[in-house]
Amino acid sequence: MTQRISKSKRFYMMNPIIQFFKFIWLSIKIMLVVAGGHGGTRKANN
Amino acid sequence: MSKIVILGAGISGHVAAAHLRRKLSKEHEVLVVSPNSNYQWIPSNIWVGIGRMKSDQILFPLAPLYKKKNISFKQALVTTFHPEGDAETKSAYVKIKYVTGEEKGKIENITYDYLINATGPKLAFDMTEGLNPGTNKAYSVCTYSHAEHAWHALDDLIQQMKQGKKAKILIGTGHAKSTCQGAAFEYILNVEQELRRHNVRDQAEVIWIANEFQLGDFGMDGVLLSYGDNIMKSSEMVEMVFEDRGIKWILGAGVNKIEDGIAHYETLDGEYKSETYDFAMLIPAFSGHGFKAFDKNNEDITEKLFKGFMLVDADYTAKPYEEWSVQDWPETYQNPSYKNIFAPGIAFAPPHAISKPRVSKNGTSISPAPPRTGMPSGITAKLVADNIIDTINGKKGLHHKGSLGNMGAACIASAGYGMTKGSGVSITTYPIVPDYNKYPDTQGRKLGKTFGEIGLAGHWLKLALHYAFIYKAKMKPFWWLIPE
Repeated sequence: MTQRISKSKRFYMMNPIIQFFKFIWLSIKIMLVVAGGHGGTRKANN
Repeated sequence: MSKIVILGAGISGHVAAAHLRRKLSKEHEVLVVSPNSNYQWIPSNIWVGIGRMKSDQILFPLAPLYKKKNISFKQALVTTFHPEGDAETKSAYVKIKYVTGEEKGKIENITYDYLINATGPKLAFDMTEGLNPGTNKAYSVCTYSHAEHAWHALDDLIQQMKQGKKAKILIGTGHAKSTCQGAAFEYILNVEQELRRHNVRDQAEVIWIANEFQLGDFGMDGVLLSYGDNIMKSSEMVEMVFEDRGIKWILGAGVNKIEDGIAHYETLDGEYKSETYDFAMLIPAFSGHGFKAFDKNNEDITEKLFKGFMLVDADYTAKPYEEWSVQDWPETYQNPSYKNIFAPGIAFAPPHAISKPRVSKNGTSISPAPPRTGMPSGITAKLVADNIIDTINGKKGLHHKGSLGNMGAACIASAGYGMTKGSGVSITTYPIVPDYNKYPDTQGRKLGKTFGEIGLAGHWLKLALHYAFIYKAKMKPFWWLIPE
């Protein structure tokens, strides 16, 4: 086992208060990516 | 009045049925044909496979819901396609065979005006000798019953480890052309966390085995993503997580035979090797169902509908990897020969892989097949439903399009269960199929929309999605506000 994640980073990843705000941020950001529309590619690029 | 027949009630078939029923008036019939009696939220199978969820938390029976929502339902499987009808039945139909109840074994012809083939993949365990869930200490989490079975075996092994047994756990892909590496990735991280929770981690060697050339390929050729203030490759991100968790890996491995506790595989270097294990979870190859199709004279026209999976509006011209483009990928999922047949989700035949194809020195193709699971399945099913609704309402042309080359996807990979100890690796990708012309400097993806995050929030998000999507699938009030 090789420690690749520092203690401070691990604290950030697992702290419930920080992660609560990260949860809100992630939810919005993911919503924007996946609900941000989709379409064809052929007309746009041809 | 139109009759729309949907084959399959997985994510894709169920999404199509729900949207069609909501938007079409009652004079139109929506009929679902599926051999399964339950709807299952497949992404949560991972948690059934580690004993942290019960099957009944991820599934519900379809028949009562469909009855309530005025969707017809036949628990049967399709056997043959007849898109021109025949001498006896003038309109297009599919032949189905009932699988349960008093009608079990009965054959019936189901006519249709529009057909949505959402039959998904066949879990082709038979393509790997000896790979059969529950035998040879190898398991699967592809269905809830497989996942339950896997948990019982893993739990048994954990109990033995508590008595001092040393164990080797092998998780990954069970065939040289498997896809769905993401599910195996989630499972290995969850299993590793459960071993720590049971205080037996030190007694276990946990090994990832995959047909990927690099870690983090996920069948999408890997991604370059934003991670905090950094830009890193998905291979680097996964390597960081695996090393931190003490997980070893074997890459470029085409598993070809399973014996009791032994996985035999071929490497890209052409070597034949084997790995022993006490517990394995290996994702099988996915294949088409081997359906046959016939014209009105009963001549075999299977090649007009299928190339393994169903043919749609993709460019199937064989070309080298360097010439692949996003324009090869389908936009409407309509069969080119029969315009009233569509195949969203996993049921459509992809034009080619997404990951660079690689062949071993012995000529064996060892590289991931393209994923179309989860979010893309739902999005493509909805756009197919919207196009059918437009056509029924007299609109010309298909206006709803969704190429995997112009669509984002989120992979919220659970990395461990628990409200305070859990973790998730959240990765979004835009587009799913890399567009090297549009984004030449970022490996075909748009940075910002392609990003990764690791932490407790990822677990909460996956759990929130679990409840949200089951709410949506149950078609509860305002379900349609939740995006695919």
